[in-house]
Amino acid sequence: MAMRLRPIIVAAVAGVAAAAALQASAHHAFSAEFDIDKPITLEGTLVEWEMINPHSWFHIDVEGPDGEVERWMIEGGSPNQLIRMGVTKNTVPDGTFLVIEGYLARDGTNKAVGRDFILADGTRLFLGGSAPGAQGPARP
Amino acid sequence: MQMNDRLQAMAAGLLGTVLLAATGAAQTPDTGDYTPPRTPDGQPDLQGYWTNATYTPLERPDGVTSAVYTEEEFAERLNAAIANESAQTTPGTIPDVHYDFTQFGLDRSQTNFAYDLRTSLIVDPADGRMPPMTEEGIARNAAIEAARGDRWDSAEDNQLDDRCIIMRGAGPPMMDSGYNSNYQIVQTPGYVMILVEMIHDVRMIPFDNRPHPHENVCQWMGVSRGHWDGDTLVVETGNFNGKNPFRGSSENMRVTERFTRVADDTIIYRFTIDDPSTWDRPWTGEMPMTTTIGPIFEHACHEGNYGLYNTLVGARLEERQAAEAEATAQAEPTGEE
Repeated sequence: MAMRLRPIIVAAVAGVAAAAALQASAHHAFSAEFDIDKPITLEGTLVEWEMINPHSWFHIDVEGPDGEVERWMIEGGSPNQLIRMGVTKNTVPDGTFLVIEGYLARDGTNKAVGRDFILADGTRLFLGGSAPGAQGPARP
Repeated sequence: MQMNDRLQAMAAGLLGTVLLAATGAAQTPDTGDYTPPRTPDGQPDLQGYWTNATYTPLERPDGVTSAVYTEEEFAERLNAAIANESAQTTPGTIPDVHYDFTQFGLDRSQTNFAYDLRTSLIVDPADGRMPPMTEEGIARNAAIEAARGDRWDSAEDNQLDDRCIIMRGAGPPMMDSGYNSNYQIVQTPGYVMILVEMIHDVRMIPFDNRPHPHENVCQWMGVSRGHWDGDTLVVETGNFNGKNPFRGSSENMRVTERFTRVADDTIIYRFTIDDPSTWDRPWTGEMPMTTTIGPIFEHACHEGNYGLYNTLVGARLEERQAAEAEATAQAEPTGEE
């Protein structure tokens, strides 16, 4: 079936793309789990946020043009620092509408990595930044 | 707290705790007038939640000759590093195939990190670089690399952190694990316990002068024995199994760690690597550990490690698709009959 799934429009984001930022330290090789040649954008509602290690997973329901709904799993970050900041599952409650830009899994199933999680109003979901004390503890 | 405020607070606090330990290669940092609190049984009290998250590299970067940055140089580099962490990755590049660390609060600028003017963790040799590897060490590491299968062939061919077996936070030496670089130190009469957040390792360090076990008894994190040198906790570790080498070390590595509390919020952590099978001379690194927010949360890495499964399933699928494509190509007439 046709999913609401389209290639990322590179030009739209190139303007904000600085020099490739080296991610601090990936737990595993994401480019082996996900396909750099298959960027996707998914729009759907959150069904479950698995706050597990080493990487959390967002389960979302994506509705196709024909109204049929498919469940997707999106890989995100370790929850430990978020929990330390006071973030809970209720910070992003089930039912939240999310736009997720990322890359499709190589295993051919409904999985992707979420490079960016975007809320319905277009703002980037900034989990740490939504929590009290998100900028870290005060320094002496 | 805004980043600019943090930088100013950092600059104010730097001279007090970090600089005194950043210069010189004395085994025990100058604690000035500070005396660490005591446990009920009289030990120097190191207990609490600590992080060794740092922007300081193990080895001094090329082109840097000083052992410490000036505050201005440090602030400039810190700002550049933070900007790099928060910058959007470029679509279609390998670093882009990843979730954004900043969205999950995992970049160091959103966590508590140990401010440090050192240009390298290594303080000995004086050039801040690891000493050259011996021929034996080079040959051993080359043989290990040659024997390794393709990383995506099987779970066993993956890296230890992919497999949730051990990460560099546990050590020893205990290194910044990239994120969640958090530790809890607990002391009881006769033991010090260090709980490592990443992959949830526990270091149990006895203080009863028992000898190291027979050399045949080998463990992932080695076997540790502790004693006090004044107010400094000294941990000697040997009996490594050699499967978790540190920068190419061998199973013969011995690590000596020294924990000195120099302020209520700072432990200076010093480690010396002695491994004649790999380096001609011992070498030493030093870094601050700073207080952070507890408790240590469960990591339970293996339970949620879908990534390893997904990667291997994806690799098998792509192999099958490639084989089918090749078979199809061979079955099609070439048109040159």
